[in-house]
Amino acid sequence: MSGQTPVIELRNVDKSFGPIDVLHDISLSVNAGEVLCLLGDNGAGKSTLIKTLAGVHRPTRGQFLMDGAEVSFERPRDAQEKGIATVHQFGGTFPLMTIGRSFFVGVEPTKGWGPFKVFDRKTANAIAVKAVRDFGITRIDDGDRLIGGLSGGERQSLAIARAVHFGARVLILDEPTAALGVKQASHVLRIVLEAKRRGIAVVFITHQVTHAMAVGDQYAVLIRGRVAANFRRGEKSREEITDLMAGGEALADLDVAMEG
Amino acid sequence: MGNLSFASLIRRPESGAFLGMVFVFVFFAIFGGRNFTSFAGAASWLNVAANLGIIAIPIGFLMIAGELDISIGAMVPAASMSMGIISGHYGLPIPVGILMTLGFAVVIGWINGIMVVRTAVPSLIVTMGTLFAVTGLTLFLSILLTNTTAVAMNPPAWAKAIFGGFYFNSYQVIIVWWLGLTALYVYFLHFSPWGNWLFAMGGDKESARNAGIPTTKFTIGLFILSSVSAAFVGLCQTILFNSAQVSTGMSFIFNAIISVVIGGVLLTGGFGSVIGIFFGTLTFAMVNQGIYFTDFDRNLSSLIIGVMLLIAVLMNNTFRQMALSYTGSRKKD
Amino acid sequence: MMNMRKNMLAAMLASVALTGAASAADIAVIAGSANDAFFNRVKKGVDDAALVVQANGGTVNYLTTQNYDNFGPDLVQLINTAVSQGVDGIAIPVWVAESQVPALKSAADQGIKIMMYNSGAEVKEQIAGINYFGSDEFVAGEAGGAYMAKKGAKKILCHIHVPGAVNLERRCDGIVAGAEANGATVMRLPTPASIDSDVTGTSEALKAELLKDPSIDAVITMGAWASDAATIAIQQAGRPVLLGTFDLSPSVLERIKAGTQTMAIDQQPYAQAFLATTMLAAYIDFGIDLPTDPVLTGPGIVDAGNIDAALVGVAAGAR
Repeated sequence: MSGQTPVIELRNVDKSFGPIDVLHDISLSVNAGEVLCLLGDNGAGKSTLIKTLAGVHRPTRGQFLMDGAEVSFERPRDAQEKGIATVHQFGGTFPLMTIGRSFFVGVEPTKGWGPFKVFDRKTANAIAVKAVRDFGITRIDDGDRLIGGLSGGERQSLAIARAVHFGARVLILDEPTAALGVKQASHVLRIVLEAKRRGIAVVFITHQVTHAMAVGDQYAVLIRGRVAANFRRGEKSREEITDLMAGGEALADLDVAMEG
Repeated sequence: MGNLSFASLIRRPESGAFLGMVFVFVFFAIFGGRNFTSFAGAASWLNVAANLGIIAIPIGFLMIAGELDISIGAMVPAASMSMGIISGHYGLPIPVGILMTLGFAVVIGWINGIMVVRTAVPSLIVTMGTLFAVTGLTLFLSILLTNTTAVAMNPPAWAKAIFGGFYFNSYQVIIVWWLGLTALYVYFLHFSPWGNWLFAMGGDKESARNAGIPTTKFTIGLFILSSVSAAFVGLCQTILFNSAQVSTGMSFIFNAIISVVIGGVLLTGGFGSVIGIFFGTLTFAMVNQGIYFTDFDRNLSSLIIGVMLLIAVLMNNTFRQMALSYTGSRKKD
Repeated sequence: MMNMRKNMLAAMLASVALTGAASAADIAVIAGSANDAFFNRVKKGVDDAALVVQANGGTVNYLTTQNYDNFGPDLVQLINTAVSQGVDGIAIPVWVAESQVPALKSAADQGIKIMMYNSGAEVKEQIAGINYFGSDEFVAGEAGGAYMAKKGAKKILCHIHVPGAVNLERRCDGIVAGAEANGATVMRLPTPASIDSDVTGTSEALKAELLKDPSIDAVITMGAWASDAATIAIQQAGRPVLLGTFDLSPSVLERIKAGTQTMAIDQQPYAQAFLATTMLAAYIDFGIDLPTDPVLTGPGIVDAGNIDAALVGVAAGAR
């Protein structure tokens, strides 16, 4: 609401699969250097919304804007080329590949000429290690290490660093902290803040309110395919958000009771 | 390749395969006597390794990508028969026989690939279907066209020299093909960008697709490669032995898979190396043929083969575990 | 014998009662997979015999198993199929006695005539078989062993490509008997399943044996494809070695013609099938029974002396 043009914006978007309406009248926007936390229970339409943003689905009705201009993606590749990167849990990392090779899957740096182009392992390793270290993960120092030897948080961080390195302007993070322990999750949240600091628009999907509270600038709660609430940081309390996610039922009381 | 320290050598996927091979070589060098290691004796296992190796590497690629192709068991005899019928029975020129045979293999490989990528059926099942279909088709066509299930041919000298002859009395020319193709495959898997795609597909197909890799085309290509490779071995055998018969090359299926596994490729995909498969094939060939140089009771052959292969695989497994649990060399440089 | 005669009489009476004045024989011939070169010769014999049967107003139905994976049950299934079609007679080899004998017994009890060919002569009485047309593996091996020894062989390598296969072991036993009776010795070489139908692997295995033991001067393989492999092995061993094989193939015949292979032992499947089918019909239609029992259709040895005639048979699909 700072008057700047949002990097991505959905206006009154509906998405139906045949007779089944999944998304109704979704209007959301994210600015550069902002984190939008997308909250919602299972089945609320989160994954359909992500796929719509990532170019897997096209909106049935409504507008999809980037930098104020309407866009329409035929396939995920189009969205990627525009700088929208989706990182699924551990996505884009391959356990039995080295860090350097995994980092450059699909966009391998080569040296040599003509038909004898050779994968440039040294360059790949150096760039990959630097990119991850720049994000504050200093434990990674050897690009020849296998991904399988990294911790969950490190893998997730590597995946995010990779997306940013390849020019992502919008990062869609699909439950990046879901399977992680407290310490690992805090690593990932730090990476999210670093991405934000670099001016990237982040869509952070989670159902862990604590994690959302830690990094979010803006929140949207999705219930049965509708935006039930859309508010800025500090406008609602933790209990109110939990309540909203549960569909207005007084789950917050339960939450408090359990913590107390 | 940078630091060739002992530690970095040990964690390469092919080091286990190499040690397994050395073990088997030493074993037969001791029990097989001088004949096993002699120039003429070495041809014995190199010939077998070459025929098997040309098929094993593409099968290894498929396994790295998380697929499998057992229809090669039908492709070898089918191609052998096709070559025999076209250039033997009908007497058409050898290049025509080769092109038509390889063309047939491309079609079968393409069918395998299309079925695997378009349906959710595992490639083991799809290729089992084509295994039987191709066997049946071969039988039907050979009876229909030649009224018999075995044909003879007399290839010209140039064809023998290139595809199915002997050099130094006992070395099959196919060894040269094997070494050349292996070099090409090493480049493909470990040095070209495409190798990265293959590992990525085997690691996580969905992520690989998201990273922009044309997984569908690539998978179909791999099936065509394995089918064509099997056909190539089949037609070379016809040219070499002047004869082809309808049979099921079941032994090729198991031998190729065993070689690949000895070579350190994970059955679950995503991991392996061409040099490893190369060593694995040599190991298998030595185990298989070494027995005839020894004085062991011939009725024990299968037992000895089984035990030796288990030892080779176990050695390999140990080394792969070491590679996977490796967590950074912390070297100061 | 008396018992069998009685059984047969009873069966005959039963069949007359069942089929009444049925004019001519309806016959089922049961055989192995068409995948097997051997059974293509069998089929040619059956096809030719069918002309004779049909000329007398009968029919011949040729039933085969798909493969050898579920052999016993598949054969029983085929027997039951034939019985349910109401045939007058079945011509069949017995490969899996424990499965086939009960089924054939029950067929015989229903008045169906059983003619045997190719395999299973030892259970003929149990199933009230009329006669047996086939070769005896031992007799065939004996002929091959004697032939090689008479050609001057002192040590014969007997290659078995399916170790433990009873019929192949019997052939080797015969070779031993035939060779020893004529002053030669035999070495057995079973090669494992991992090189079955792999010509290069088999060739290298044979070559290794030839190099290892220079006293081997003859090789007999149990299958035609294996003699393709043996040919190369002998060439590379670099000394003259006699080569013989069981069964024929075009390349075997070409080598015999060219003089690079000594001989091939043929059990003449065409004769087995042709005779079994026609004699079964003749028994049902005319009561003709041969006094020779069993009738051996092999071994027929093909060598330089009769190769030209054999080649004519090959062209016709009969050999």
